Amino acid sequence: MLALGRLLVIGFLALSVVYICLSLYSRAVRKDKLEAEWDEEIREGDRDAFIKAGLEDYDTSLRKKLILGVYVVPLSLMTAIIYFTNFH
Amino acid sequence: MGYIKWALILIFWVSVASFLHYTLPQHDVARITDTEVRRIDPGENRWFWASADAGSDGTLSNRDVFFISAVLSDGDVMVYRNEDTSWGWPPYFKFDTSNLQAEAADLRSTSANPQWVVIRHYGWRNEFFTIFPNAISVRAVDGPEQRIIPWINIVILTVLFAFFWAIFVRWRRFRAARIDPVLEDVEESFDVVGDGIARRGSRFKKWIGGSK
Repeated sequence: MLALGRLLVIGFLALSVVYICLSLYSRAVRKDKLEAEWDEEIREGDRDAFIKAGLEDYDTSLRKKLILGVYVVPLSLMTAIIYFTNFH
Repeated sequence: MGYIKWALILIFWVSVASFLHYTLPQHDVARITDTEVRRIDPGENRWFWASADAGSDGTLSNRDVFFISAVLSDGDVMVYRNEDTSWGWPPYFKFDTSNLQAEAADLRSTSANPQWVVIRHYGWRNEFFTIFPNAISVRAVDGPEQRIIPWINIVILTVLFAFFWAIFVRWRRFRAARIDPVLEDVEESFDVVGDGIARRGSRFKKWIGGSK
């Protein structure tokens, strides 16, 4: 069980790095898109407020929660492999 | 310099290919001739042995390992080891070594009355290092002409390719947007400084020339 603990701890740390990078990247992409939308289509009112509101929407969106798949997918994959290798 | 660059590129791709070839599952159509246990003492080849059974003491220097001897459908012989990969690498999460050995023993046959099986395994057989592929599963099939489509490998390689392609494309875009302009800037300022030095140099030369 020590080996399992080691795998889970190292896996969690590695996936956390991926999760943080992906979160930052996804938010930056969203920000770029909001900026482009304002520059090309809206062009009136407060640009910063528009972007801020858009990012707040993003923070509570499903898309952001989907990034948690970084943890869920490998764990389910591991469970599936254990099942198919040993008990199928 | 060109040779060194190409050698490095070649070494990189050969390493990637051999890593994948070693780690990904492969299938052999074979006939199991014997199942046995041998004591092994991993030495220089210790990388190519998996771990002791899950839950048992893995610190001892030698241990008993299950082996499955087989004759492939093309007539060559092949010997497989049968070891737990447990929670380690490669991630097959195999814990049912003893059960697999029982299944393999059940499917033993002679050349007179062959029972063909598909053996899923990973790893290489190499006589010079005494290394053996690790059997993952066996299943009985009708004959030696069994057609196998490696779906798992197709999926894994496709996903792997898509993943690295996605990263590569984003990196290239990032480079074009952020790094190249900076490098060009630096280059330009070098040019400016260079021009300045050249101008000053010529003024210096003129001054030297003028004083003569």
